[in-house]
Amino acid sequence: MRLPRFEYLEPSDLEGVLNLLATQGDDTKILAGGTDLLVRMKKGLLKPKTLISLKALNELSYINEEDGCIKIGARTPIADIIASDLIQKEAFALFEACEKIGAISIQHYRGTIGGNILQDNRCIHYNQSEFHRSGRQPCHKDGGKICYARDEADRCNSTCQSDGATALMALGASITLAKKGTERVVEIANFYTTDGIMPFAMESSELLTEIVISIQGGKSSYKRLAYRSAIDYPIVCAGVFLSASDTKKDEIEDARIVVGAMGRSPLFLVQESFSLKGKNLNDTEVFKKVADSSMNSASTFAVHNVGSTLEYRCVMVSEMVLQALKGAAQAVVAAKG
Amino acid sequence: MSKKNSEFSVVGKRIPKLDAAQKAMGRAEYIQDIKVPGMLYGRILYSKYASAKIIKIDISKAVALPGVHTVLPGEDVPEKMKMGFYKDNPPIKKDKVCSFRDEVAAVAAINPEIAKKALDLIEIEYEEQIGIFDPEKAMEKDAPLVHEHTKSNVLKLPWNIHYGDVDKGEKESAFVVEDRFTTTGVTHCCMGTSGALALFDATENLTVYTNTQIPSLAQKDFLETLKVLGLKNKRVRVIKPIIGGGFGSKLDTYAYEHVAILLAYKCRKPVKIVFDRVEEFKATSTRQPTVTYIKQGCDKNGKLTFRDIRMVLDNGAYTSWGATTPTVMMMPISSLYRVKNVRYDAKCVYTNNTYSQAMRGYGNPQATFAIESNIDMLAEEAGIDPIEFRRINQNVPNETTPQDFKITTCGLAECINEVEKELKSGTAKEKGVGVGMASLIHVGGGARIYKSDGCGAILKMDDYGKVDIFTGGTDMGQGMDNITAQIVAEELGLSAEDINVVHTDTDICPWDVGAHASRSTFVAGNAALGAAKKVKQKIQEFASKFFDVPAKEIQFKDKLVFVPGDQEKSMPIDKLLRKAHFSQNGTMLMADYFYDPDNESFRKDFKCNLSATYTFGVHGVKVKVDEETGKVEVLDYIAAHDVGQAINPLLLEGQVYGGVLMGLGYALTEEVVQKNGENMNANFRDYKLFTAKDAVNIKAPVFETADEAGPFGAKGIGEPGCVPTAPAVANAVYDAVGVRIKDLPITPEKVLAALKEKNG
Amino acid sequence: MTTNISFILNGVELSYEIKDHWTLSHLLREEMGLIGTKEGCGNGECGACTVIVDKLAVNSCLYLAIEVEGKTVETIEGLSSTEGSLHPIQQSFVDNGGIQCGFCSPGMIMSSKALLDENPDADREEIKHALAGNICRCTGYIQIFESVEAVKGMGGQNE
Ligand SMILES: Cc1cc2nc3c(=O)[nH]c(=O)nc-3n(C[C@H](O)[C@H](O)[C@H](O)COP(=O)(O)OP(=O)(O)OC[C@H]3O[C@@H](n4cnc5c(N)ncnc54)[C@H](O)[C@@H]3O)c2cc1C
Ligand code: SF4
Ligand code: FES
Ligand code: FES
Repeated sequence: MRLPRFEYLEPSDLEGVLNLLATQGDDTKILAGGTDLLVRMKKGLLKPKTLISLKALNELSYINEEDGCIKIGARTPIADIIASDLIQKEAFALFEACEKIGAISIQHYRGTIGGNILQDNRCIHYNQSEFHRSGRQPCHKDGGKICYARDEADRCNSTCQSDGATALMALGASITLAKKGTERVVEIANFYTTDGIMPFAMESSELLTEIVISIQGGKSSYKRLAYRSAIDYPIVCAGVFLSASDTKKDEIEDARIVVGAMGRSPLFLVQESFSLKGKNLNDTEVFKKVADSSMNSASTFAVHNVGSTLEYRCVMVSEMVLQALKGAAQAVVAAKG
Repeated sequence: MSKKNSEFSVVGKRIPKLDAAQKAMGRAEYIQDIKVPGMLYGRILYSKYASAKIIKIDISKAVALPGVHTVLPGEDVPEKMKMGFYKDNPPIKKDKVCSFRDEVAAVAAINPEIAKKALDLIEIEYEEQIGIFDPEKAMEKDAPLVHEHTKSNVLKLPWNIHYGDVDKGEKESAFVVEDRFTTTGVTHCCMGTSGALALFDATENLTVYTNTQIPSLAQKDFLETLKVLGLKNKRVRVIKPIIGGGFGSKLDTYAYEHVAILLAYKCRKPVKIVFDRVEEFKATSTRQPTVTYIKQGCDKNGKLTFRDIRMVLDNGAYTSWGATTPTVMMMPISSLYRVKNVRYDAKCVYTNNTYSQAMRGYGNPQATFAIESNIDMLAEEAGIDPIEFRRINQNVPNETTPQDFKITTCGLAECINEVEKELKSGTAKEKGVGVGMASLIHVGGGARIYKSDGCGAILKMDDYGKVDIFTGGTDMGQGMDNITAQIVAEELGLSAEDINVVHTDTDICPWDVGAHASRSTFVAGNAALGAAKKVKQKIQEFASKFFDVPAKEIQFKDKLVFVPGDQEKSMPIDKLLRKAHFSQNGTMLMADYFYDPDNESFRKDFKCNLSATYTFGVHGVKVKVDEETGKVEVLDYIAAHDVGQAINPLLLEGQVYGGVLMGLGYALTEEVVQKNGENMNANFRDYKLFTAKDAVNIKAPVFETADEAGPFGAKGIGEPGCVPTAPAVANAVYDAVGVRIKDLPITPEKVLAALKEKNG
Repeated sequence: MTTNISFILNGVELSYEIKDHWTLSHLLREEMGLIGTKEGCGNGECGACTVIVDKLAVNSCLYLAIEVEGKTVETIEGLSSTEGSLHPIQQSFVDNGGIQCGFCSPGMIMSSKALLDENPDADREEIKHALAGNICRCTGYIQIFESVEAVKGMGGQNE
C-alpha cells in the first residue's frame, strides 16, 4: 500500500515547527507517530501537501512532576506512559487506557499521546477505502451533505474512540496549544467542537505541546469494552475519577465520570458526576443508579457507526461506568488504609 | 500389519517443516515477492453497485494516461469466457453487475500507482437495480432475479436425500426437538493475499504463477481461456510460489487469474495482479452463509430415531465449486452418530451478495453446528446427560451408514472418553462457567467429488542416496511436503532431509485434483508411498543379484541396504545406487505412481462410499460467560481426534490448533458484515480474528487407529479442527448461563439479549 | 521529493536515495529487494511488516523511510549469520512448529527478538503481550509461544 506524495519537513526544534505552521496552509499536517495519520492518508481520507515531522523534537517527550501536576510532552510515546511509575501512581486511568491501545509491539512505540488525543474520529461509513467511498454521495465528513449513520443528520456524528482522551478528561487534564508567539491552555473537556467533521477546537497553525494533569489526591479508573484483547478500539469506555473528603471518611468529595466511544468526543457527564458528591464510597446501589443515568445521558449522543449494535453499546455504558466507579472507589478506600 | 510407533524411524516423528528454515530467514518467495523483467502491474476495477445495468463505459482517459499499457473493459473479453461450477461468471462483466465484487474493467501499467490512477479515470454509467440480499427472501416468488435468464433464484441442484423413513421415525420418537440455526459468512483471511502473474513466451505458451490449491485443474481452466482467445494447441504451465495460506480459498480459479492472462496477452508482457488487503476482503469469497431448519428425535432410551434437515445456502451472485458443499454436508447429516432415518434438502440461492466458496471444512462446520447444537437440546429434552447421549448413538468401527459410507476404523468412543475426562476434571461449577462438547465426522481418505480423486507422484533417486519426488499434491503451509518426505524416507530407510519434495510446477509434477477435503496426507501420501515402493523393489532386485539373495530378503534402514543377519551383505544405499547407474547395462532408479483411492462417486441417491476412510473427533470446551457484558471467554479447549496414524505429530498438532482457533473465530467473533451486499469491514480491525492475546489453551490428543487404507495407517486431519468448534462453544454457553445462541457468531450482544429475555 | 538518508541496516552503514512518501516497508521490499519483510495489510493491523528500529519492534508499513535517518534498522534478513546458520529464535520457530505458511513468520520473529533482547526470561503472558499485534491465521499461536519460550533453552541470544 502506497502513500500519496507529500513534502516532508523535519524542523529541529519547537520554534521551527511553529514557524512552519504559521506559514503553511491547511494542507499541512503534523506527523507524530503516524499510526493514525498515515493510515488515513493511505485510505485517501486526506492528502496533505506537507508533513511536519516531530521526529527531532525530543523536547516534547517527557513525563514530569512539577507544581503538583503531571506534565506530559505531546510527543511522549504511549509505551513511556505505560512504563511510568508516576502515571501508575497518580493517573491510573491513563495507564489503564494506554495499556489497551492497539498492541504493544506497534502502536505503543510509535504512537504518541498527542497523536492519540488528536486522532481523527471514526465511522464505519467513512473509514473505508477510497474506492468504497467513491461509489456513493460523499457524507458530511467527506465534504458532502448527507450522513449514512443517522438519517437527516445536519452534521457529522463520527465517534471519538481515543482511549487516552477519555481517561484524560476523567482526570480533569488540560492541554497546551502553542502557536507562533502565543500559547493557550484548554481543559480537555472544553476542547471539542460540535461537529465530527473537525472534532477539535484548534487551529491548523496550533501545535499540541503538553498535557497537564493536576494531582488532586483522588483515584481514577478506566474500563473499556472491545471484542478482542488487542488491535481493537473500544466500542464503549468509561473513565472515572473519585476523591474522598478529608474529614468524613468514605464520603465522596469530588467525582468525574466520562464516557468514551459514544459520541463525537468523550462525554463529561456533569450531572451524574455532581450527584455523587457526598455519597458513600461503598454504596454500590448509588453507583448503579448513577451508571444507569449515565447510560441515559450518553445514549443520546451515539449513532450506529462503530460496529456492534447501538442498543448494546448504550446498555454497556452503564456497565462500564459502574465498573470504573467501583474500580476508582476501591482504590480510594485502599489508599486511605 | 500395522506397525507400532516405536517401529518407525521417520514416520511418527516431530520433524520440522521442510521449508520452515527458508521461511524463517525471509527467503521464501510468495506471489507478492515475485518480479520478472518487463513486468506490468495489473489492477481490477470493481462495481459500485450490488445490482445494476452498465449503460456506458468510457476508457479513453485511462488509455491516454502515460504508463498505461492496456485497459480491458468487459466487451473485450470473449463471450465464452466463464468461470465457476456453473460457468456463470465472466472474469469481467459487460452489461450487468450482480454484486459489489463484480469486475468491470482492468488495466495494466508500469507501476501500481499509475494502474490505480488509471482505474480512477475509467468512467462507467450505471443504472441501479433492486438487489436481493436475504437468501430466504430471494426464494420468494416475486423476488427480483439476480440473473434474468433464470426463472428463479434457486439453483437447480439436486441436493436432497432421504434414507429410511423420516416420518415413521418421527412417529416412533419419544422426544422430538426442532429449531432454526443460522451461520454467517466468514472468510479465509490468508495472511498472504491472492495474486497471479501471467506471461506468454515467444510462441504464445503461457506460464502462470499463482496461489492455487489446484494446479492441475487450474491448468485446465487456463487452457480453456487460451482456447477462447483462439490460441489452440498451446501449453500452460502453472507454477505455485510459496502460498501464504489457503484454507480452501484457492480451490477455484478466479477473475484475477484470468484477467492477468488476458492483460498479459493483450500487451504481450508479463502482468502481475496482487490484491491489497481491502481487495482480499472484498473480492474473495466467504464460507456459505446458511439457514438451517433441523428436527431430530430419539426414543425413550436416547437412541436417535430420525434427523430431518432443510437448509438454505446463500450462493451469492455466482456459482463457484462452493455450491457443491451440500454434498459434504450430507456426510455429518447422514452419518454423524447412528441414525437410520435421515432427510436433507438444500437449496443454493442466488443473491446479490459476494459469491461464497469453499473454506476449510467445506460445509461440514455449518451442518455440524445445527446438528450438534440440536443434539444437546434433544438430550436435555430426553433427560439424558449430553455425553451419555452421544455415547448411546456413537459411530462404531466396521459399520455402514445410511448413506453407504463404510466406516472401517473409528475412534469416536475413545475421543468421547478423553473429552469427558477433561471436562469433568477440575473444580466444582462456578457461576457463569460451563462446558460443552461436539463431535465430528470428516472424510479422511480423500473424497470423490470429481470423477477422479487421484494424485500422481514421480520419484527419482540420485547417486548420492538422495530422492527427488515430484508430486501432484500442494503444500500451502499445512505440511504436505513433510508428509510426503517422511513417508518416502520411512519406506526407503532414509532420513527426511534426504527427500526433496517438488510440488510447485505442472511442467514437472504429475496430475492431482487439488488440495481439498483433507486429502493430501492420505492421497498424496499414498501416491508417494506407491512410487517409493516401486523404486524400493527395483533396488531390491538390483541388490539381489549383488548379494545373491532373494529380493524379498533385502531391507532398508539408516541409509543402508542390507540382508538381516548377514553382516557381509550390507552396503550404503548411495554406493549401491552408483553401481546401478554407473555401470554397463545400468539401470535408472525412478518410478511413477498414480494413486486413486478405493472410494466411490455419488450415485443418484447420493449413496456411495465417498472416502476410503473417515476421520472422527470430539471437541470439548470450557467457557466463562460474563453475565454483565455477555462476553464469552474460552478457558480451556480439548480437541481429540482419531487420525489413524500421526505421520508427524508436530505438524498435526499445528493443524489442530490452527483449525480450532479458526473455528473459535467462527463461533465467537468473525463475520463479514455486508450491508446491502457491500462489505463494511474489509480490514483486520473490524474483521475480528483472534490475536495472540486472545489465544486459547488447546489440548490435542490423538488416537491412532491405524487405518489399513492409509499410508502407514494415516487419515486426513487438515480440516477437522474447525468443524465442531462452534456447536461445542454454543453448548458450553448454554451450560454456563442457560441461553442457547442459534445464530453465529455468538457475540456479546446476542448473549446479553438472550440473557435479558431469559431473566425477564 | 527525493532525499538522501543514512542509516544502519542489519549492521551495515549505508546511504540511500529515497522519496519522501516511501514507507520503510516499501524501501525494504520494493527498492532494496529485501522481501523477507512482508506486508499483510499496510495499515498497522497485522504485524507482518514488523522490523526493529533502535531496539523497538515497529510496523514498517506505517513508518516513513525518511524517518530512519540516523537510526539502526534490523530486518529478518539480518538475523541469520552470514554463514547461513539460523539465529536461535529462527531455529526455535523451525523446530517447534512456529511456522506453517510462513507469511507472518518474519514479523513474528522480529517481534519476538525485540522482546527477548529486552527480556530474555519472558513468560507466556509477556510473550502474548509482545506478539499481540502480529496476526497468524495458521498456527493458533500455541506453537509460536512454545517457539519463543524454547529459545531460552537454546543458549540464549547471539548478538
Ligand atoms: C491497528 C491500530 C490499532 C489502534 N488501536 C487504538 C486503540 O485501541 N485506541 C486508541 O485510542 N487508538 C488506537 N489506534 C490509533 C493510534 O495508533 C493511536 O491513537 C496513537 O496514539 C496515535 O498517535 P500517533 O503519534 O501515531 O498519531 P499520528 O498519526 O502521528 O497523529 C494523529 C493526528 O494528530 C495530529 N497530531 C499528532 N501530534 C500532534 C501535535 N503534537 N500537535 C498537533 N497535531 C498533532 C496529526 O496531524 C494527526 O492528525 C490504533 C491504531 C492502529 C494502527
Ligand atoms: S457520522 Fe455520518 S457524516 Fe459522519 S462520518 Fe459517519 S456517515 Fe459521514
Ligand atoms: S503490513 Fe504492516 S501491520 Fe500489516
Ligand atoms: S504461519 Fe501462516 S499466518 Fe502464521
